[in-house]
Amino acid sequence: MLTKLALAGVKNRRRDYLVLLAGLTMSAAIFYMFANLATNQAFIKANAVVKSASVVFGFGAVLLALITIVYIMYANSFLLSMRQHDYGLFMMLGAKRRRVGQLVFLETLILGTIATAIGIVLGIVVSKLLVGFLLDQLGLHLAHLTSFYLPAVLFTAVLYIGLFILASLFNLTRLMRTTVQQLLHADQQANQPKSRPFRQFILGLIGIGLLAVGYWALAAIEQLQMTAIPLALVTITLGTYLLFHAAVLAVIRGLRRTTWAKKRLNGFLLGQLNFRVHDYTRMLTIVSLLFAMALGAITVGSGYHRQMPMTADSLGAYTVAVHDANAHQKRLIKQLHVAHQATYTQKVQGKTTYYNAAELKAQPFQLIKSMQSSANGRPHFYTEPLAKFKTSGATQLDFIMLNPNKLGDFAAPKIVSATAFKQLKGATYRVTTVRVKHMADDLTVLKQLDHSEQRRFPQTASQLTIGTYQSFEMMNGIFGGLEFIGYFLGIAFLAMLASCLMFKILSGAPGDLRRYAMLNKVGVRRGLMRGSLAKEIGILFAIPGIMGVIDVLFGLQMFKPLMGKPMSPYLGIGTTFAIFIGLYVIYYVITLGLYLNLVMPRDVARD
Amino acid sequence: MTKTVVDVHHLEKTYGKAGERPYTALKGLNFSVAEGEFVGIMGASGSGKTTLLNMLSTLDTPTKGDVIVNGHDVTKMRGNQLSDFRAQEVGFIFQDFNLLESLTAEENIGLPLALQGTPSKVMDQAIQAVAATLSITDLLKKYPAQLSGGQKQRVAAARAIVHQPSILMGDEPTGALDSTSARELLDLLTTINRDQHMSVLLVTHDPFSASFCQRILFIKDGQIGSELKRGELDRKDFYQQVLTELGTFSE
Repeated sequence: MLTKLALAGVKNRRRDYLVLLAGLTMSAAIFYMFANLATNQAFIKANAVVKSASVVFGFGAVLLALITIVYIMYANSFLLSMRQHDYGLFMMLGAKRRRVGQLVFLETLILGTIATAIGIVLGIVVSKLLVGFLLDQLGLHLAHLTSFYLPAVLFTAVLYIGLFILASLFNLTRLMRTTVQQLLHADQQANQPKSRPFRQFILGLIGIGLLAVGYWALAAIEQLQMTAIPLALVTITLGTYLLFHAAVLAVIRGLRRTTWAKKRLNGFLLGQLNFRVHDYTRMLTIVSLLFAMALGAITVGSGYHRQMPMTADSLGAYTVAVHDANAHQKRLIKQLHVAHQATYTQKVQGKTTYYNAAELKAQPFQLIKSMQSSANGRPHFYTEPLAKFKTSGATQLDFIMLNPNKLGDFAAPKIVSATAFKQLKGATYRVTTVRVKHMADDLTVLKQLDHSEQRRFPQTASQLTIGTYQSFEMMNGIFGGLEFIGYFLGIAFLAMLASCLMFKILSGAPGDLRRYAMLNKVGVRRGLMRGSLAKEIGILFAIPGIMGVIDVLFGLQMFKPLMGKPMSPYLGIGTTFAIFIGLYVIYYVITLGLYLNLVMPRDVARD
Repeated sequence: MTKTVVDVHHLEKTYGKAGERPYTALKGLNFSVAEGEFVGIMGASGSGKTTLLNMLSTLDTPTKGDVIVNGHDVTKMRGNQLSDFRAQEVGFIFQDFNLLESLTAEENIGLPLALQGTPSKVMDQAIQAVAATLSITDLLKKYPAQLSGGQKQRVAAARAIVHQPSILMGDEPTGALDSTSARELLDLLTTINRDQHMSVLLVTHDPFSASFCQRILFIKDGQIGSELKRGELDRKDFYQQVLTELGTFSE
C-alpha cells in the first residue's frame, strides 16, 4: 500500500522528477565521455606526444569524480527536499519508520540506476557525435578514439551506482534522525545568518591572501613544477570560499541599510539573497572553480587552435612550394591571400638541383629572421645579395627543400650563371613558392594544394617539412590532442557546473513557491515578481561567473611555458570568453525558465 | 448617508471544468459594507466563506455578478490592475500570517509601501506609527522565525494597515492563535476600526471572534441565510445572541 502511495507521489511530481532525471542522466553521460577518453590506454598512448597529457587526464579524472560527488549530493538534496513532506505525512499516518526508510532507499537507488543506465547510453551516442564534430571542426585526426569502450562503461556504472548507494544511505539516516514535525515543516524554517563583522573581515582578508598565494603558484609553475597545481587548487578553493563568505554577505548587509532597499521588491531580493548566499557559499565556490576550469580549458584549447597557424607562419619563408603548377593548382593559388610569390627554374642532374643565378638576382629568395632577433613577435623577412646568398641563404633548409627530388637523396643545390644554366641537361621544373598573409585564413585551400602536390611528388622523409603549411600539420599532430582535451573538458565542466547551480537553485523552489504566493496575495505585480526572481538567480549565476573569470585570467599564467612565443595564452581570449559567457547565459535562461514555471503563482482564470 | 465600501450583487461562483459535474459554491449573494463598518461573515466549513473572500480580494473571479470595492468594479480588472488593486485598496490578514521569513518584521510591514514607491522617510514614519499602535516597536528588527504566533499576527496586521487601505479583510485571523493572543488581536482590530475609521471584514467560524463585529452575515449553502446586528448591545450579550443564532441557524 505504501509503495503504491509512494509511486503516486512520484507520478504527481513527474515534472520535478524529469528535471532531476535529466540532470543526473546528463552528468552520467558526461562522466562516461570523459572516462572513455581517460581510461582508453590505446588512445592516450597513441596521442599523448606531450608527456604531461596523461597527468592532465589524471587530474581531470579526479576532479570530475569530485565534482560528480558534489553534484549527486545536490541532486540528492533536491530529491529529499521534494519528498520529505510526503514521507513526513506517511509517518504521521502511522507508517513505520523502517518501512518509509526502505522506500527512501529504494527510490533513490532506482532513480540513480535509471539515470546511470540512460546516461551511459547517451554518453556513447554523444561521444560519437561530439568527438566527430570536434575533430571535424578542429581538423584533427586522433587514432584509437572509439565511442564505446567497455572499461569506461564499467567504471562509470560502478562509480555512479556506488555513489547512489551512498546517497540512499545518507537519505535513510537523515530521515531516521529527523522528527515528523521537522519533515512536515522543513521548508518553513529559515536560518538567519548571524553577523560577526570583525571575524568576517579577518576571514575575508585571509581569503584574499590565500587567493594571492594560489594565483602566484600558477604564475610560478616553472619553479614549482607539479606542486603548483595542487597548491593552487587548495588555496584558491579556500580563498574563494572565505572571500564569498565575508564579502557577499557584507555587501548585502550594507545594501539593506540603504534607501534603495526600500524601493519595490529590492528589500525582498536582498532578504532572499541574504539567506541564500549563506547557504550557497560552498556551492558557489565549487561553481566558480568549475567555471574557471571550463573557461580555462576552452581558452587554452582554442588558443592552440588559433595560434598554431600563427606559430607556423613564423617558421619559414614560404607557406607552400608547387612544382610545375597544373591548372588546378594555379586556380587554387589564385584563391590564396598571397603576401609574397616567386617562381624559379630548376634543373635536376642526379642528386643535384641547379638554379639560374640571373633569376635569383632578379627575384631574390626571401629568408626569415630567427624569432629571437625580431622584436615584436611577428615574423620578419629579408633578402641577401646573391654573393652572400650562395654561402648563407642557400644553405638554409627552406631553400634546400625546394628540390623536386624528394623521393631519393639529394645534394646541396648549386647556383650557376645564366649561360651555364642554359647548357645544363636534365629534367626542368618551375617551382613556385607562395607565402600567405595569415595561414589561418587559407587553411582549406592550402590543404588541397599540399595534397595535390604530395600526390605528384610523393615524400618519404616525413620528418622534413616543405613550407610552413607542412610544419603546421606536424604541430597539429603533436598539440592537437591537447587542443581536443581542452575543448572537451571545457564543455564537460560547463555542463556540470551549470547543472550543479541549477539543482541547487531548483531545490529552493518549494520554499519560494510559498513566498511568491504570499507576494501575489499582497498584491505584487507579476512582472515585478518575475523581475525580482530574474535578478536573484542572475546574481547567483554572476557571482561565481565573475570569480571564475578572474581565476582564469590569473590561471592562464600556468600555460605560458607550454605556449612559447609567438603564442600566448592571453592572445585573442575575448572571443572565447564571449562564446563561453554566451553559453553560460543560455544556462541561466533555462534555469530561470524552469524556476519561473515552478514558483510563479498561476494566473487567475478569467471567464 | 455613509459611503459604501463593498457592494456585492448577485454574486455566483461555479466550480468545475466543462464536462464535469459543476459545483456551485455561491448562489447569488447580495450585501454591502458601509465605510467604517466592522462586519463579520460566518458559516460552517464548505458554506462558501473563503470563496467569497477570495472574490472580494480578487484572488478568484466570480462566474456571475458584480463586486464593487471602494468604487472599483473588480470583476472588470485584468493583470496588473488586479495586483495594484490588492496592493492599494485591500489590507489582508491571513490565518497562517503570510509573513516573508527572509525579511525582518520592519521590512515585512514596509512591503506594501515599498511597492507603491513611497519615499523611505515617509515609509519609516508610517512603520513607526503603525508599530506604536500595535505595540510591536521592539519587534521590528526581528525575523518572523523569532516571533511568537501572536506577535507574528500583529506584524501581519501592521502590514495590512500601514498603507491605509479602504478595507481590511481577515480570513480567520485568530485561527492559529491562543485565546489571549486572539483576544488581543481582536481588541486591536476594534481599535483600528474605531480610531482610524477603517472598514473591517472578518471571515470566521468562531462565535467569539464574530462577537467583536457590529453586524454578522450568516452564509449557508452559498446564500446569505440570516443577518444579525449588534446595535447597542454589550459584546458579551451579543456573543450569547450569536451562539443562539448559530444554534437555530444550523438546524
